[in-house]
Order: sequence, then C-alpha cells, then structure tokens
Amino acid sequence: MVYESLRQALRTLLRHRARAFLTMFGVVWGTSAVIFLVSWGDGVRTMLEVGFFKTGKNMGEVWAGRIGEDFTPAADRRYLWFNLEDVEALRRRTRLASRVGAEAWEMLPAAFGQRALTVDVRGMEQHSQEIRGVPLVAGRRISQADVSHRRRVVVLGDRVRRKLLGAQGGIGSWIRLGGKPFRVVGMLRPMGSQLNQDRMQIDDQVWVPISTVHANWPAWWTHEPVVSKIIYRMVDRHQVDAAEREVRAILADRLQVSATDDEAIPIWSSIHMLNQIPVDQTRGMMWTLSIATLVIGGIGVLTMMLDAVHERRHEIGLRLAVGARRRHVLFQFFVETFAITALGGLMGTLLGVGGCWALTQLQVPDMIPVPELSASIVLGALGVMGSVGLLAGVIPAWRAAQIEPAIALRQE
Amino acid sequence: MARPLIALEGIHKRYPMGANEVQALRGLDLAISPGEFVAIMGPSGSGKSTLLEILGCLSHPSDGDYRLDGRSVAGLSVDQLAQVRGEKIGFVFQSFNLLPRLTAIENVELPLVYASTPRRERRSRAENALARVGLVDRGDHLPSELSGGQCQRVAIARALINRPSLVLADEPTGNLDTATGDEILTLLHALHREGNTILVATHDAKIGTQATRVVTIQDGKIARDENREAAA
Ligand SMILES: Nc1ncnc2c1ncn2[C@@H]1O[C@H](COP(=O)(O)OP(=O)(O)OP(=O)(O)O)[C@@H](O)[C@H]1O
Ligand SMILES: [Mg+2]
Repeated sequence: MVYESLRQALRTLLRHRARAFLTMFGVVWGTSAVIFLVSWGDGVRTMLEVGFFKTGKNMGEVWAGRIGEDFTPAADRRYLWFNLEDVEALRRRTRLASRVGAEAWEMLPAAFGQRALTVDVRGMEQHSQEIRGVPLVAGRRISQADVSHRRRVVVLGDRVRRKLLGAQGGIGSWIRLGGKPFRVVGMLRPMGSQLNQDRMQIDDQVWVPISTVHANWPAWWTHEPVVSKIIYRMVDRHQVDAAEREVRAILADRLQVSATDDEAIPIWSSIHMLNQIPVDQTRGMMWTLSIATLVIGGIGVLTMMLDAVHERRHEIGLRLAVGARRRHVLFQFFVETFAITALGGLMGTLLGVGGCWALTQLQVPDMIPVPELSASIVLGALGVMGSVGLLAGVIPAWRAAQIEPAIALRQE
Repeated sequence: MARPLIALEGIHKRYPMGANEVQALRGLDLAISPGEFVAIMGPSGSGKSTLLEILGCLSHPSDGDYRLDGRSVAGLSVDQLAQVRGEKIGFVFQSFNLLPRLTAIENVELPLVYASTPRRERRSRAENALARVGLVDRGDHLPSELSGGQCQRVAIARALINRPSLVLADEPTGNLDTATGDEILTLLHALHREGNTILVATHDAKIGTQATRVVTIQDGKIARDENREAAA
C-alpha cells in the first residue's frame, strides 16, 4: 500500500508538472531559506563573538582617567594612574572577576638589522597573558622568572614579526627596543582584526615583562611602577554591569575618588557591544520569516491537493466501489501530499546546505560573516517542513475520504 | 425456485435536492435468483442507476429491506459495505472507469489489492481474468493505449477477479459502437452461461433480447417483469 501510494504521488507530480513545480518551489524555497538564513544569523553571532573575544574572552578593560567634572571643580581635575599595588588589591578583593592582570604600555622604536619601525610595546605578566589568551606559533610566553628578573626578552605579534624579522630572524634572534637589546623568545599567532577598545591590534604588538618596562622606561612623573591598563575576566558574562561596579568601587577606594566616577575610572567591556546586537531577536525573526515562507509553500501544496482530490473523485469512487475502505483513501492522499512536501523539503535542504557549504568554501575577508550550519538547524527546518506537510496533508486526505462511493456510477 | 440471491422489499431512495428531495425509487420489490441474466430497462431518469447503486451496496436505501445472500445489509457500516462490495460484487461501468495511470493488469488487480491478497496470487489471478476476456497480451498496456472495447473487457476482467456473486453493469455498451457493443454482449452472455449472475441496466433493446429476464422500471417502480427463459 505504501509503495503504491508513493508511486501515485510521483505520478500526480509528473502529471501536474508546472503546478507541482510552482508549489514545490514554495516548499523548496522555504526550507532552504530556513537553513540559509538561520545559519547565516548564527554565523554573524559567531563572527562577533570571535571578533570581540580574540583579545580576551569575557574581558573588561580598566584605565585611569581624570576626576569627573561632576565631582570636583574643573581647575582641580587631576590625572590618575594605577600602580602594581592597585592591581594586587583588586585581585585580592574582587569577587566578580576571576582573574586580574596588568599591562604597561609604551610606543618605542624597534630595530633588527637594517629594518626599523615603531611598535606598540606591552609590559605583560602571567595574569594578563592568561586573560588575553593569544596562542603562540613558536617559542614561549613571558614567564614568571622573566618578570622576576626583569629579563630583556620579547614575544612578537605576527605583523611585527613579518615586518621586522622577515625571513632572516627567528626564536633566539636579538632585536633592539628603544635602543636596548632584547632576545626573541616567542611568536604570537596571527589574530587578524579585533573589535576592542583601543583599536590596537595584537598583530602589531610586542610583549615584554612588565618589570622590564618599569626598569627601562620609568614614568617621568612618578617613581611608582605605572600600570597603563588593568584587565580582568569576569566570572559571569551576564553580570557585566555588577562586575564593572565592583571593580570601579575597589579601585576608586584605592585612588580616593568617587565609586561612581566613570571619568576617573573608565571601564570597557566588549560584552556590552555584543549584547547591544539583538542576535537572539534576529535569529527569531529569521525563523519566523522562513517558517512563514514554508507555510505559504504548504498552502500551495494544500490547494493543489484539494484540486487533485476534486479532479480524481471518480477514481476515488471507483476505488471505494471495488472494496477500498475509507482509511485506504485517507492514507493514500495523505502519503501523496506528504511525499510532495518531503520531496520539496529534501531538495530545499540540499539547496540550503549546499549554499551554506559553498559560502564557507569561499575565501572571505575576516569581518564578513559566513553561514554557520548546524545539525539542529537542519533538523529544525526538517521538523517545520514535516509539520507543514502533515497539516497540508490532513485536509485533502480527509476530503478524499468523505467522497461517496456512488459517484462511481455517475457520469460527469 | 432457489433461494433468492437478492431480495428487495419496499425500497425507497430519496436524494436531497436543496430544500426538497428527489424520489428516485418509490417502493420497489424485486427478487433475483442465482444464475439469472437480468436486463433492467426504462427511460432516462427512471431510477436504473439508483437501483444498481443500492444493489451494489454503494449506499443504503432510504427505506425498505435489502437482503443479499440471505443477509440484510441495513445494519452494515461504511467499511463493512466496502467489504461486501469487494467480496461479492463486480462492477462494469458505461465509461469503463479504469485508472488511467495503471496498466491493464494493475487495473484488474485493484480489488485484490484492497482484499489484501498476496502479490503473487494477485498477478496470476489477474492474468487468468485477462485471458478469460481475451486480452492475455495486453496486460502491460495503459488504458490510453487500448480501444474502447478492450477497455471494457479489462473492466469486466476486474469485475470478475473476486469471483463475485453478482456482476452489475450500468450501460456497458453505452460508450461503444454497435459492433464492439455486440462483442461485449457476447462476452457477458458467455459469462452468464458459466454460471455468473448478471444484472445489466440499459436502454439497449438488444440486451433485452439476450437476457433471461427483463425488468422495466418507470418512475422508481417496477412497471413490467418478463421471464424469457426460452431466449437463453
Ligand atoms: N446523487 C443524486 N442526487 C440527486 N438526484 C439524483 C442523484 N442521483 C440520481 N438522482 C435523480 O434520481 C433519478 C433517477 O436517476 P438514475 O440515475 O437512477 O436514472 P437512470 O434510470 O439511471 O437514468 P439514465 O438512463 O439517464 O442513466 C433522476 O431524477 C436523477 O436526477
Ligand atoms: Mg443511469
């Protein structure tokens, strides 16, 4: 019976080729749209996450500013800075940050052989390297011993490595930073574009021990070891605001400023930007849109099958006359409709998956999102398509089963 | 007289027609014994097809009692009626009613499909039935590749495949030219001689001369009932 019904379905399709094509097109289009749009939406989300988290996952960045106008007369607004003790204090007292790291920042000329360029030098330590989480392609990171002994060692960002060392240098080469010799101990993986606060790209940086920065290039306005930026990793990305308040309060206490003065202690968390982009709503909208397309396709199939039931009422009468039960007729038309929808759905799935795959094969620039296909999307699309097929199938099948067998005796 | 195969008593059939209704049959009594070849004659609209509809268990009468093989069909459900049709009745129609996308042999097999007969048996019985109507070598053809007479033979083979107690034919020659119609008539005649009970509703007076009995209907009632045993 199933086989017979499937064959019938195929024949119906072949007989109404033009109409079947048009109605199936709706289902094909709907299914591939679901897969393509939702995958693409997911791709956008991933691209943003990757972009924002490249320089540190769930990271907050804190730097020192000036006391805000609301808190002191304009003439008295003093400049602030952090030192290593502030970092220690924050690390001890925070509950909403799982890690706290320090960075000291300098722009210095770098030279290797005949080549020279100005580079972004970052004094780093264990924690800040951990938070940044940039993988190495060669060598090692700045170690605890490097920091303790203020060693002149350097880890190169990818673009600096290519511009400065070229093919001649490698791990163990000596370069000059601010005129002083440093040994290359590691190389960072190329990171491409990043979305972060200071628009400084990891690829353009070189990392040295933070103590080495303090020893060689002390601040001109103080004897304290200055920390240009404190970075932390929050425990829970959903508590981004609470973490910012807590961190600001602790540091404000250290610097003797107001706990709510965000000009004195600005904080930037990339999560905010990610949260501003309505990824979930966009995803929901894409689902809604594509389901609507599928439903329209389903209505097309429904009307086509209702027409077919009417056209074939004599055939149905004949089948009933020779002994078919109502359930046989019901089943036959249901299977036919479902087969048409399923065929369209499978074609649409192939189209959608194929389209996504083709796009991921293209070499696209870093910041262009590519669709991100997942099994759940395909299953979801097939599920929706199946429901549409069920709904579109029930009504014509029920209509067909209501036909009176006596129609077999009546001529048109 | 043998126990009647068919016993109709006071049969009425009314069709709703908008607000009022059409009285297609009005109190019809009829008994038919196994082995008869009955021609149902009468003017257009007299109720011949309606009578076959009742006899073929395609619908229930509005009123009256119908016994088939001694069993009343009045209490049967829609599905039970379908089963009776499948097992006891073979239909032949004016417009053949073959399924256009099935081959001749598949059309003949159709009643067995719904009787859940195994595929093998289906095929061999269908081949026999086709042979019986003289179409052994046309099994693979689609109805569109057959002549009208051949289509009607396929339909007759389909009607015979379940070895029915009763073959009902509604204007079986109505869509055929005279010569082909005669061939079909000869075939029905031969089937009758083999012991089949056959009822033919027709305008065709020639069928009347072939039948063992001619029942004439007028306005939903039997107007005349002649036995012509001699004609056989
Ligand atoms: N389904 C129906 N609904 C309403 N009226 C019907 C229906 N079927 C038949 N009739 C009416 O019942 C009456 C008998 O019709 P029937 O088809 O039985 O006549 P018939 O003798 O077979 O005629 P013909 O020789 O033209 O085939 C007619 O008046 C017809 O209009
Ligand atoms: Mg008629």
